[in-house]
Amino acid sequence: MGAEFFLLVLLLLLAGIAVPLATSGQDRRISRTAAHVCTIAASAVLAAIALFVLVTGQEITWTAYQPFGFFSIAFVIDRLAAFFLLIIAAVSLCVAIYSGEYVEHLEGGSRRNLLCGCVNLFILSMVLVVASANTLSFLFFWELMAASSFFLVMYEYTLPETRKAGIFYFVMTQLSTLFVLLGVILLYAGTGSFAFSLIRSPVSPLIPVAFLCLFLGFSIKAGIIPFHKWLPYAHPASPSPISALMSGVMLKIAVYGLVRFLLDVFTPELWWGLLILAAGTASAVLGIIYALKEHDVKAMLAYSSIENIGIIFIGIGLSVVLTAVNLPVLAQISLLGALFHALNHALFKSLLFLTSGSVVHATHTRDIEHMGGLSHVMPYTSALFFVGAVAIAALPPLNGFASEILIFISFFSSVSAVDPLLKVVMFIALSLFALTSALSAACFVKAFGSIFLAMPRSEESAKAREVPFLMLLGPAILAGACIILGLFALQLFTLAGFAVPEPDMLLIGVLLLVMAGFTYVVLHFTASREVRVSETWGCGTLSQQPSTEYTGHGFSEPIDIIFSSIYCTRLKNERMFFDEKNCHFREGVAEIRLLKVFEEYLYLPVSRASLRVATAVSRFQNGCLDTYLLYVFFAVIAVIVYLGWFA
Amino acid sequence: MNGFLLYLVLNTLVVLAIAPLFVSLIKKVKARTQGRSGPSVFQTYYNLAKLLKKEVIYSPNSSRIMRVAPIVNMAALLVAALFVPLVFVPEPLGGIGNIILFLYLLALAKFFMALAGLDAGSSFGGMGSSREMSISAIIEPTTIIVFAALVFVFKSLNIFDMFATSAAAGTLATPVLILLGISLFIILIVETSRLPVDNPETHLELTMIHEGMILEQSGRNLALMELSAAVKLTLLMAILINLIVPFGLMTTFTLAGLLIAALLFVVKGSILAGIIGLFESSTAKMRFFRLPSLFAMAFFFSTLIIIIEVFA
Amino acid sequence: MIDPAFIQGLIKILFVVVVITAAYIISTRNLLSLVSVYALQSLSLVLIALALYSIEGAPVLLAIAAITFASKVLIIPYFIATIQEKVRIRRDIEFHFLSPTTSLIISMGLMLVIYIALSKILAGTHARESFLFFGAVLGISLMLMGMMVTFSRKRAITKVLGYLTMENGVLLFGLFVTELPFIIEFLIIIDLVIVVLLTTILTVGIDSTLEDYHKRLHRFHLWEEEERP
Repeated sequence: MGAEFFLLVLLLLLAGIAVPLATSGQDRRISRTAAHVCTIAASAVLAAIALFVLVTGQEITWTAYQPFGFFSIAFVIDRLAAFFLLIIAAVSLCVAIYSGEYVEHLEGGSRRNLLCGCVNLFILSMVLVVASANTLSFLFFWELMAASSFFLVMYEYTLPETRKAGIFYFVMTQLSTLFVLLGVILLYAGTGSFAFSLIRSPVSPLIPVAFLCLFLGFSIKAGIIPFHKWLPYAHPASPSPISALMSGVMLKIAVYGLVRFLLDVFTPELWWGLLILAAGTASAVLGIIYALKEHDVKAMLAYSSIENIGIIFIGIGLSVVLTAVNLPVLAQISLLGALFHALNHALFKSLLFLTSGSVVHATHTRDIEHMGGLSHVMPYTSALFFVGAVAIAALPPLNGFASEILIFISFFSSVSAVDPLLKVVMFIALSLFALTSALSAACFVKAFGSIFLAMPRSEESAKAREVPFLMLLGPAILAGACIILGLFALQLFTLAGFAVPEPDMLLIGVLLLVMAGFTYVVLHFTASREVRVSETWGCGTLSQQPSTEYTGHGFSEPIDIIFSSIYCTRLKNERMFFDEKNCHFREGVAEIRLLKVFEEYLYLPVSRASLRVATAVSRFQNGCLDTYLLYVFFAVIAVIVYLGWFA
Repeated sequence: MNGFLLYLVLNTLVVLAIAPLFVSLIKKVKARTQGRSGPSVFQTYYNLAKLLKKEVIYSPNSSRIMRVAPIVNMAALLVAALFVPLVFVPEPLGGIGNIILFLYLLALAKFFMALAGLDAGSSFGGMGSSREMSISAIIEPTTIIVFAALVFVFKSLNIFDMFATSAAAGTLATPVLILLGISLFIILIVETSRLPVDNPETHLELTMIHEGMILEQSGRNLALMELSAAVKLTLLMAILINLIVPFGLMTTFTLAGLLIAALLFVVKGSILAGIIGLFESSTAKMRFFRLPSLFAMAFFFSTLIIIIEVFA
Repeated sequence: MIDPAFIQGLIKILFVVVVITAAYIISTRNLLSLVSVYALQSLSLVLIALALYSIEGAPVLLAIAAITFASKVLIIPYFIATIQEKVRIRRDIEFHFLSPTTSLIISMGLMLVIYIALSKILAGTHARESFLFFGAVLGISLMLMGMMVTFSRKRAITKVLGYLTMENGVLLFGLFVTELPFIIEFLIIIDLVIVVLLTTILTVGIDSTLEDYHKRLHRFHLWEEEERP
């Protein structure tokens, strides 16, 4: 019965695509607003459907197009799909509200209509991927999602770095589609159907290979190390609402794919879980370590997304491992933690991207070393970014902590119940997981401090103004959702019917307020109330300069030095002198070069090798008619020989 | 519920009353080993009273963070204090007592303190914040491993259950618990910024990590920061004491038991404060970039305990 | 007479002391404490031997404990400390191949690898199930850690201490796995005495005494001033 509402959602999104595209010749604000209104309406209805399915547990099915037996485009929304639809709906709603205002400040005239239309196409494709009922439609809409996101990334195609980022992203996303296609075909060969049905024995040897292909495809899309390199290029190059959508939602679609295949199709073995756990741990640690080095705010947020996807994979991997060693209760807790973290990450990461988009818009620079002091001129944006920073640093009582603690609890509880070697693996993963969450707190202290606190470090930063209301409303809804999901985590889980050992965050929140009130009241009666404003102590300088503030680079320097073997920093310091005793300095070169390890040792060699192969193969197509006739000649001879001798 | 309310009031008051005493005791022990007579053991109380009477000075560059951070810091530590029963162990309510939540409440306090350090725009605060966040990041794996070992030994995630088990067992701990006590001691030194990690006595920019972040605080805010540091010290000492030597810890409430437990806690805490003071006096502050080797050793030690407990 | 569970707990603590001292020897830069740490390690081995004696009651363990105490806790450390005092070696800051943190991580990995390998080799035998299996694992890892010290440090005195740690590892292994005949322990002690003697010879030259060595250094202006108030 809910199929009508689902159809309504699809129609609204289609209208949102058609309207701006139809009027794409003229640069009219009304068509863009219409597109955004369609998005908002569609998201609201989608959220309602998703909540309905989650709470009642009824499934919604709809078969759209089934010409013959095995080829069908059909949709099923069960609880897992509804959860991810909720993620899509929540983020799209707030991004649409935000970009209603943001898009007006972009350059590009009537190209902005195409942007709005493409956003709706992107959201539509993601909804259809999640709702797909069989692997064939999954694949079809996956490719649609990849193509539409490419157009979105290439919005500012006049800049060379955007072009490079777009092409890089396109290659990686096609690679991921290729692996998913391979996996689906292998599954078909192994089981004979395209449906999401559980594989029963006998298990053909193609099944583990299918899992590996699917895992590779989803990892590339999700940004797992070492396939992550496209993220820090694509996110800074695209407009901020697009980055929010991609980072908040598109990466989760890859997670959805992995979880759907693991739960409904495969019976996972132990080494699958260990592989996912290892990939997740590596991404989590390396993601945050690279994030600490970045001074482009959107690249830093991109690396932080890699870290959080790593955490989600840790939760999924742990759940698979625990299922394989027969601890189903703990496996469920771990999986719930991972999925809850997916929702939370979508919320706070899009919040952070949208607010940093406001900041970039106000200061016309993405470099945090040129920002500073923005909390005085942009108080609301700084408050919203602050909520996002506290959430992503996994601090109680907000939602980032509520999901990470579930994964911690499943680690701690499972340590006593598995065999010794597995215990050691889990201890290593646990300690690395703790390291990443502490490092992410450090990263966001640096980010918030450099962008919003202290004095402005540049002219534009001093002249920044608060952004218009719509650009505050979208992030504000997300911030409110973060706080509510954090405080009411336990209650939400019980409402959904799961019994998890989550601490009661509402109680903690209330206690924090009580203790803060208690402190304030005691101080009110015992302490002096005089307040004075005076210059910061500058150790004797005449007046305080922005140049004496701690920079972002300086903040992360101790971590650079401690983890210098991972950063592979190369220092070059050459000096040339006039005399032999090295007293009269002539000239010198000093350089600090961060080795981009993955780029130089993995991506560039692979791309050079494939270019060489492609060049060699392309000699077959030299445009000369005679060569092609020669090929036909050889082909005919070969057919005659084959028929005569071998057939 | 009533019992819990009683526990709430009792624990908070005991912590707030005892915390400055332990800080002064450590200073006294250090002074004595240096051949001085040192400040009186009640000096921290006098300091706090003096600070409360002074005016608060804010920098023109600072934002709301500076006004709010000391209160949030204190609130987070007081809620964390509810997780560590000092004299009376009630039944756990909600999620209170969860050991991971305890650790992250301490991290919440640290987050706000680090932001307040960056707020005024001075280099000292920035340096203190940067070093504090780096150190807390690299000690985190060791802390989690030690807590995982505690969970493994006591078979519960809740500090209340751990204390109750320990109090019920009564006698001195097994060898693994003594080794865990040494690890907890190392974590105490690192988290409360004592020698050899950081020198809490000096206020020079090169030696301070904790002191650097609170350099810009004044008046009642500084009093709150000092008190919260003392509360953190007391909480970590209480975990160490109540797990290793839990004599006198009550699980059912009686007035006589309360007085005995409080007295015993003060005595045990004073002995531990003396040990900390002696340990601090016997070592010098390490160069900042030598600290990761020290932490690697601590991590090695903690992992070793677990390996030996698990495998042998 | 004494509760065996208590003895086992004691042996666990001593294991930890042994491994921590080995980790300290691998990663420290300060040579003055190196010898005392080695003496502490040998002392814990003596205590382990005594604890095993109280469980198993073989008198050869008592003899081993006595000889180890005399030689490795008293004589050899005294010898090396005297050499250090005379020749004034203070710090060894250069590491070859491995930094301290990396060597700690590698030694942890080594212990796990040895544990897995030994449990596969000894699977199903009596030795695998008993408590003493872990002692054997530790013995081999201690030997390998000593070898790591030998190849990763540059100064000769540290290499000698690494070799001595290797010998400690062999002793530990022997205590737990085999019925160690007394003669082998004796031969090991002679081995070590030769090593220390060679160190002294290398320091002062085969033809002279320690005092002659001082005079030689003075003549070549190589002697550091040792006057202290």
